[in-house]
Amino acid sequence: MANDVKTATIDAAGLRNGVWYSHKGNVYALGIVLLVALGSVWALAQDLRWIYLLVYVWFGLGYGIFLQYGRFCMASAVRDLFAVGVPRMAVGMLIAVMLFSLTAALVKVLGVSTFHPHPLGWHIIIGGAIFGFGIVFTGGCATGSLYKSGEGNLGSMLVVLSISFSQAIYVTLGGWLNKLVPASWTQSAVAKDMPAELTVGNGWFDQFTAGYIWDLTGGQLSDQLGFEGLFTGAFFGNALLGAIVPSLLLMIYLYQTAYRKGYQRRFKIETPRLGDHLRGIWSMVTASRTTAIAGLCLGLLAGAHMWATGELREHYGIFNFGEMLVDMGHTAGLSIQDTVFDPGYWYITTQEAQWGAWALDKAGVQMTDNIFFGLENGIPNPLINAPGWMSIGIILGAALLALVRHEFRWKVPSLETAMFAIIGGALMGLGARIALGCNIGAFFATVTNGDLSGWIFLAGMAAGAWVGVKGFNWWMEWRAGDDELAI
Amino acid sequence: MFWFSKRNQQSSIAVRRIDQVVRLESYGPLQVQVMVDCLGAVCPRPQLLTMRALDHMNDGEVLELLVDNPASAEAIPAMAMGLGSTHLVTMRNEGSWRIYLRKGFGDDGH
Repeated sequence: MANDVKTATIDAAGLRNGVWYSHKGNVYALGIVLLVALGSVWALAQDLRWIYLLVYVWFGLGYGIFLQYGRFCMASAVRDLFAVGVPRMAVGMLIAVMLFSLTAALVKVLGVSTFHPHPLGWHIIIGGAIFGFGIVFTGGCATGSLYKSGEGNLGSMLVVLSISFSQAIYVTLGGWLNKLVPASWTQSAVAKDMPAELTVGNGWFDQFTAGYIWDLTGGQLSDQLGFEGLFTGAFFGNALLGAIVPSLLLMIYLYQTAYRKGYQRRFKIETPRLGDHLRGIWSMVTASRTTAIAGLCLGLLAGAHMWATGELREHYGIFNFGEMLVDMGHTAGLSIQDTVFDPGYWYITTQEAQWGAWALDKAGVQMTDNIFFGLENGIPNPLINAPGWMSIGIILGAALLALVRHEFRWKVPSLETAMFAIIGGALMGLGARIALGCNIGAFFATVTNGDLSGWIFLAGMAAGAWVGVKGFNWWMEWRAGDDELAI
Repeated sequence: MFWFSKRNQQSSIAVRRIDQVVRLESYGPLQVQVMVDCLGAVCPRPQLLTMRALDHMNDGEVLELLVDNPASAEAIPAMAMGLGSTHLVTMRNEGSWRIYLRKGFGDDGH
């Protein structure tokens, strides 16, 4: 088959030759593993309770490895679909959703699910659209930028920085933005009688959170449909109806719109029957084999992560890592309720916001007079920020596999790419804050737990990405100018 | 802003005609007409630039794409058919790839 990538690839530099340690990448990769292992042992020697934080690190490492393996990027899933009509990554993503929904259901049955449903409202679709628009310009979603940073991509590191600081700034902004907030939000927010130090009446995000978000409700499908049984609720309600059936429908839609024509032309099928369509769908699934394998492993890993954190919380009798930090004597950077951000599952954007806020706080900016940091998430030192370590784990895991696969390289962005990274990252940060998460927290982790708000986020993200692709193409045409070919 | 000026942009042209023969190890000589340099770029740029360059090429002409983004190196051969082209060969180097596509669905000429 002429299009088979594996057979048509020639190893030009003799990458596969020599003993394993003659390849520097392998040595560096081993170094990463040893570093994380030694760091873990050192932390445990200080206090065994750091195991709670280390769970985040090691699962992060695992996520990073499989993300790099599958080139798993939700940004390219929606973008390739609109830009060139290739459903490969989108199919891989849907497979991951189906598998994670099963592991998530199992974790719920075991009674250690850490999932909280998202409130349902217009903010999801608006935030998703802004986020989707941003990812086209940055060339990766929040997770994608992390694993690409691990591949040595300096542009992606700029995206991570931009997301971190932009989010931290958005949630604290007040001033003239207060005037844009609907009066009903302000009233409702002030009526909630929050502690005075949060100055809830000042800051658009506070009023958005307390005056709008908190008045909304959301839930898991199992509860909404009134499934009483734990097993039927988790597996039938949440996994099957909430995640698997919608994923299958979307896959049929993708086959119909993006794959069927090419498949039938290639195999000269004139009058397709049901069997041909099924074989076609199967061929579409196997065409995204590595992504599907990565999706399978990520689904299992994400479920295992929820289980591990849930068990640890039960073991130590805590609801939030903040309680443990207080016990250990680390009280700086906690919220006024002594909590920190601790989702207990795969999450990306909030911990990045905390990094940005921590740095700004050190620079003397008042960062805790708001609900997001002051009441809920805190701004812990990055050294003891558990989900933050998951993000670092993702970078290290991706670096590890990229080094082994001869794919690591320091990639310096052009000025244009760097500008896009910063502006796009700021848009992604805004979208993620409005939608209360990125494509992981607001989509992947929600739909797989039977929370339908994730599918709304996906719709918003797809719409935003569609506009983004149009904009990107327009920009390239403008840059090319009169010259037909030069870009 | 100075870096958005037309003049500044011309110096960083990513797509250009080269019309030269490249000798590929264990593949043989290949006449290449258009070169797309996407070093340092992440998707969607390599995909969109390749698509645009192919739009402006004639049937049978060969495009050389230089990428260092692993995701693009895997995605582009997989979408070659959708772009109306045939993937000829990918040359794998340390941390980068050179991908050769021929416009049209003819024989791979080898």
